[in-house]
Amino acid sequence: MAKSRIGRAEQLNGWLFIAPALVLLGIFMIYPILWSLWMSFQTGRGMNYSFGGFANIIRLTEDPVFIRALTNTGIFLVVQVPIMIVLALLFAAALNNPNLRFRGFFRTAIFLPCVTSLVAYSILFKSMFASDGVINDLAMVLRLMDAPISWLGDPFWARVVIILAITWRWTGYNMIFYLAAMQNIDKSIYEAARIDGVPAWARFVYITLPMLKPVILFTTVISTIGTLQLFDEVNNITLGGPSDSTLTLSLYIYNLTFKFMPSFGYAATVSYVIVLLVAVLSYLQFLVARDRKA
Amino acid sequence: MSGLKLRGVRKSYGAVEVIKGVDLDIAPGEFVVFVGPSGCGKSTLLRMIAGLEEITAGDLFIGDTRMNEVDPSRRGIAMVFQSYALYPHMTVRENMGFALRFAKKPKDEIARLVDEAARILELEPLLDRRPKDLSGGQRQRVAIGRAIVRHPDVFLFDEPLSNLDAELRVHMRIEVARLHKELATTIIYVTHDQVEAMTLADKIVVMRAGVVEQTGSPLALYDDPDNLFVAGFIGSPKMNFLAGIVTGDTVRLPEFGDQIIPLGRLAKPPAQGADVTVGIRPESFKRGGEAVLDLTIEIVEHLGNESFAYARQAGGQLLTLASDDGRALQPGQRIAARFDAGQVMLFDKAGKRMR
Repeated sequence: MAKSRIGRAEQLNGWLFIAPALVLLGIFMIYPILWSLWMSFQTGRGMNYSFGGFANIIRLTEDPVFIRALTNTGIFLVVQVPIMIVLALLFAAALNNPNLRFRGFFRTAIFLPCVTSLVAYSILFKSMFASDGVINDLAMVLRLMDAPISWLGDPFWARVVIILAITWRWTGYNMIFYLAAMQNIDKSIYEAARIDGVPAWARFVYITLPMLKPVILFTTVISTIGTLQLFDEVNNITLGGPSDSTLTLSLYIYNLTFKFMPSFGYAATVSYVIVLLVAVLSYLQFLVARDRKA
Repeated sequence: MSGLKLRGVRKSYGAVEVIKGVDLDIAPGEFVVFVGPSGCGKSTLLRMIAGLEEITAGDLFIGDTRMNEVDPSRRGIAMVFQSYALYPHMTVRENMGFALRFAKKPKDEIARLVDEAARILELEPLLDRRPKDLSGGQRQRVAIGRAIVRHPDVFLFDEPLSNLDAELRVHMRIEVARLHKELATTIIYVTHDQVEAMTLADKIVVMRAGVVEQTGSPLALYDDPDNLFVAGFIGSPKMNFLAGIVTGDTVRLPEFGDQIIPLGRLAKPPAQGADVTVGIRPESFKRGGEAVLDLTIEIVEHLGNESFAYARQAGGQLLTLASDDGRALQPGQRIAARFDAGQVMLFDKAGKRMR
């Protein structure tokens, strides 16, 4: 152990070096986390709150709006994340083909959405999918439909618009990970498979996909966390409507805290539901992806 | 087992021609080595035979079938890569059996073929391991095993031993030679290592800058090279090249204090005063002879069984001499290096051998 004077001086130096970061982390991360955990056991409105034990957790089970938000978030998660992952994989595979022309252009075009501002693109989507928006006009001109769809007024179509939006925004982000991973695979592995008569689909399914497994796991976890925290798009495109059909957990927390009569304790409880979901889902994904033979 | 025929085979990338018309016959069961410095096109030529690179012009026959446009998997070939190209997520067994699944072979047939290859390559104890748990030599054996299970007509090896350390390379070289004996299949083997080429090949194809410089058995290339390039490339240590001027029936060596060596017997003697290059192999000095060069030794390398002396004369170029009694040689020592004029090779100004 560091009993000598030099050892102690080194220890002190070490702590001094990380002290500024530790103080900041403590004030802006650890303290709020602990405070919100304590808050989640408080009931009351505004600044009038008192310790309520498990009252907030019981309230969760009886709160139809919370159940609604949880269901919506679940729908977005189950529908959107797989679509996006598969789409990103297909784009990456296509862009990794050296015979594709204008690869640089397509790569940029697919990646570009994820450098746009969340609010800006949300507002754009909102205007595009308005009843008199570009999408309806175009579809009518092309005679794809007889009457305009009330995209943002219909619970089903509103969800579709949200899923379209986040897929547009985040597919390129995931694709870049896959593309980078694919470019790291030794080309002669594919050549060996080609010579040995392994068909193209099998090369993708049995060689590319297994070799991308760590990256797919990573992007799935990141996308899951992102979708559980979905806020900007719903807040800007639908405001959670119509009739809470696109309300997400994050938006509900925001509403509980800032829109309605503030209910900090209950909002903190809902936040911890997200924490719990992230933890459980990530654990499950790691479990599924675990190497069974190793 | 099939032979191969290449007729006027060319490859260009845009305006750049990298293979400039190759004609080659490979007999069934022959072990052919493509050798040459890096960038000479030997790997490209192999990849064209494999079908991984398109053939720009000319014809490729494997057996009696023209294969130019045939898919790689239907050419009856198997290839072993320098990087091994193993599937990292599969076990050794899966690596070897993977492609057979798509050849619609029944499971027990695949198992039998894999076991057979594993036996030949002594891979049985490793069958359930992953590539990352294998040494370089073991990985290369798995790569060879993956080729064997397909029972190809022609094996293609692309610098298979380049990633191995020196000791393992010698060991694997013997393995490959044994394999050729056991399987008696046509093998085309690419390497830049002339020792590998000399030890393995029935026939060596020496390439430079997309052109075949000479084709022949290892000893034919060593004893009777067609040009300066082949003479310099085959043989280790390298042949000594001395600038000379033909004077009567001798050659004068201006860089060696105008010493004179007798001209060997040639069918077409060169013109008087012609500039020639004199090629003397280091090992020619071992056997002695009537020709003499006076030299001063600079460095001596002792390898145990033989020694190499590096010597020059009066600021001239450094010569390599192999010697049996080299243990007695000392730097600074003056020697009269004797050799047989009949073993000296002459090359004209263009580098062509004068015979």
